Amino acid sequence: MKSGARIALVSFVSFVSFVSCNRSGSDAANKAPRIALVLKTLNSPFFNDMQRGAQTAATRLGIDLVVQAADREIDVERQMQIIENLIQTGVQAMALTPSGSREVVPAVVKANRANIPVVIVDTRLDKAAADEAGAKIVSFIGSDNYEGGRIAAKFIVDATKGKANVAVLEGIPGHETGDSRLRGFRDGIKETPAVRIVASQPANWERDQGFNVFQNMLQAHPEIDTLFACNDMMALGATEAIRAAGKAGSIRVVGFDAVDDARKAIKDGVMLASVAQFPDEMGRLAVENAVHAIRHEPIEADAKVRIELITKENVK
Amino acid sequence: MIGLCLLLWILTPHFLTVANMLNVMEQTSINAIVAVGMTYVIITGGIDLSVGSLLALSGVVLASGLKAAWPAALAIAAALGVGAASGLVNGVVIAFGRLPPFIMTLGMMSVARGGALLFTDGRPISGFGAGFRAIATGRVLGIPAPILLTLAIYALAHLVLSRTRFGRYVYGIGGNEEATRLSGVDVRFHKTMVYVVSGVTSAIAAVLLTARLNTAQPIAGIMYELDAIAAVVIGGTSLSGGDGNLGGTLIGALTMGVLRNGLNLLGVSSFLQQLVIGVVIIVAVLVDLMVKERRT
Repeated sequence: MKSGARIALVSFVSFVSFVSCNRSGSDAANKAPRIALVLKTLNSPFFNDMQRGAQTAATRLGIDLVVQAADREIDVERQMQIIENLIQTGVQAMALTPSGSREVVPAVVKANRANIPVVIVDTRLDKAAADEAGAKIVSFIGSDNYEGGRIAAKFIVDATKGKANVAVLEGIPGHETGDSRLRGFRDGIKETPAVRIVASQPANWERDQGFNVFQNMLQAHPEIDTLFACNDMMALGATEAIRAAGKAGSIRVVGFDAVDDARKAIKDGVMLASVAQFPDEMGRLAVENAVHAIRHEPIEADAKVRIELITKENVK
Repeated sequence: MIGLCLLLWILTPHFLTVANMLNVMEQTSINAIVAVGMTYVIITGGIDLSVGSLLALSGVVLASGLKAAWPAALAIAAALGVGAASGLVNGVVIAFGRLPPFIMTLGMMSVARGGALLFTDGRPISGFGAGFRAIATGRVLGIPAPILLTLAIYALAHLVLSRTRFGRYVYGIGGNEEATRLSGVDVRFHKTMVYVVSGVTSAIAAVLLTARLNTAQPIAGIMYELDAIAAVVIGGTSLSGGDGNLGGTLIGALTMGVLRNGLNLLGVSSFLQQLVIGVVIIVAVLVDLMVKERRT
C-alpha cells in the first residue's frame, strides 16, 4: 500500500517536472493578474472556440489565464471541485460556464466569500437558487437563446410554407440554455397551427444520443419531415440516422450553434440551417469583464452576444 | 501519499494551507464513503458496479421526500432504505442465485439509473432547507461536517471489519469460500449483507452529495464505481479477494483527491489530468503486486 503511493509519487514527479518546465515562463512574469476560466468541458468545438477567444483576449491584456474543465459536461460535482480548487490558488477573478444552473450556485457562493468576482458565461444561474443562497455575479455573458429558438422557428415556418411535422431534440433536461431555446422555438411556431411538434425528446446534447433518439423517433413517427435540434451535435447525429433510414434529403434539419461540422453539412445540403452563436466573442468578453471587475471598473451586467441564422446563402 | 503532498507543497504555495487541506478532504469524502462498501465487496472477491446508479436513485428519493416536506430524518431514512433494498437484491441474486457479481451489479447499474430517470422524469430536484444542507455546509470546531462524517463511517466500518465475526467471515469468504462454508458459516447470508453495506454507503454518499450541490440529479454518480474501485485497489486491496483494509482505501481515495486538487492548483490541462490519474492507478497497483510477491 505504501509502496503503491510511493510509485504514484514517482510517476507524478516526472510528470510535474515536465509541467513545471512548461510553466517556468509564466512564473517569471508573476505580476500578471491571474484569471480562471472554468468551462463545462473541453471536448466540444463550442467551448474550444470560447477558450480561443478568451486566450486571445488574455494575451492582448497581459493576463495569466488558467482554463480548466471537467471531463464530462454533466459532471457538476467535478466542476464544483475545480472551482473550489481554483479559489485556493487565489485567482483574482473567475469566469464560469455552469454545468448546472442550480448545482453550481454553492460554488459561486464560495467564490463570493473569497472575494473573487464571478462572471457567468453561456448558461445563466437559476435565479431562484442564486437569490436564495445569496450568490452574486458581476456579469452574465451569453446569447439570447430564447431569441435563437424563435429565429429557428420562424425560418422553419417560412421554409415549409407553414405546414410541417416537426421533431425536436432537446438538451439535458433542466438546463437553462436548452429550455430557453425550446421555449423560443415553441413560441415561434405558436401562430402557425399547421406546424406541429409530433415528437420532442432529450438527447442530452450528444451526437451519439442524437442518432439513437432520432432513429427511434423515425420509427414511431414516419411522418416527420422537419427536425429542430437544440444543438448541432444532436442535429449531426440525427443526420446520420436519416441517412441510415434512406430518407436523406426528405427531412429538413435545423440545428443550433453553427459549429464547423454543421457549416459543412449546410454547405453539402445535409442540414438546412443552424443558429450561430459566437463563443469566441463570449470568451473575449468574459476575460474583458473579469479584468474590469479586478480594476473595479463599471461592467455591463447582462452582455448579449449576437446570434445569426446560417443557411446555404451565407455559410462560410 | 505523504511524498505526494510534500512534492505539491514545494511546487505550489497554495497546496499546504489549512484551507486547502480541508478542501481536499471535503472533496474526497463522497468517493471515500462509496469506497467503504466497495472495500467490503471486493474483500469477498466480488465487485459492485451499481454504486453510482444507487447513489443517483437514493439521491432522488431523498430529494423528493424533502420536497414533500418530510422531516429530513425521514427522507434520509428513506434514501438509506432504498440503498439497502437495492443492495439486498444484488446480494440475494448473487449469493442465492449464483449470478456472477459483475453481471448482477452491471444489470442493477442500468436498472437503478433507469429507475432514477423514471422517478424524476429526467429532471434534477433542487432547493432544500438550510437545516438539511448543514450536512455538507456545517462545521464543527472549524472542521467541515463531511470530513467528520467520513471519519466516523471509516471508524465504524473498520471496527466491524476487524473486530466482529461478520468482518472475519468477509475475509474468509474472499480467501476461501468453500473452506468458510465447510466450517459452518452461512456464506450466502454474509455475502448478501456485504452488498447491503455497499448499497447503504452509496446512499450515505447520496445524502452528502445532495446536500453539497443543493440538488439531486438522476444522472449523478456516473462512473463513480470506477473511482471507488480505483481508491480500493490503490489502497492495496486485492481484486481477487481475502485481503485488504479500510485504512488503505481511505489513503487510496485521498491519493486521488490530492492528485486532482494538485493538478488543478498547478493549472494542468484537463486532458493531461485524466491521463496522469490513469497512469497513477496502473503503476500503484503494479508496484503493490510486485512488493507482495517479493514478500511471499
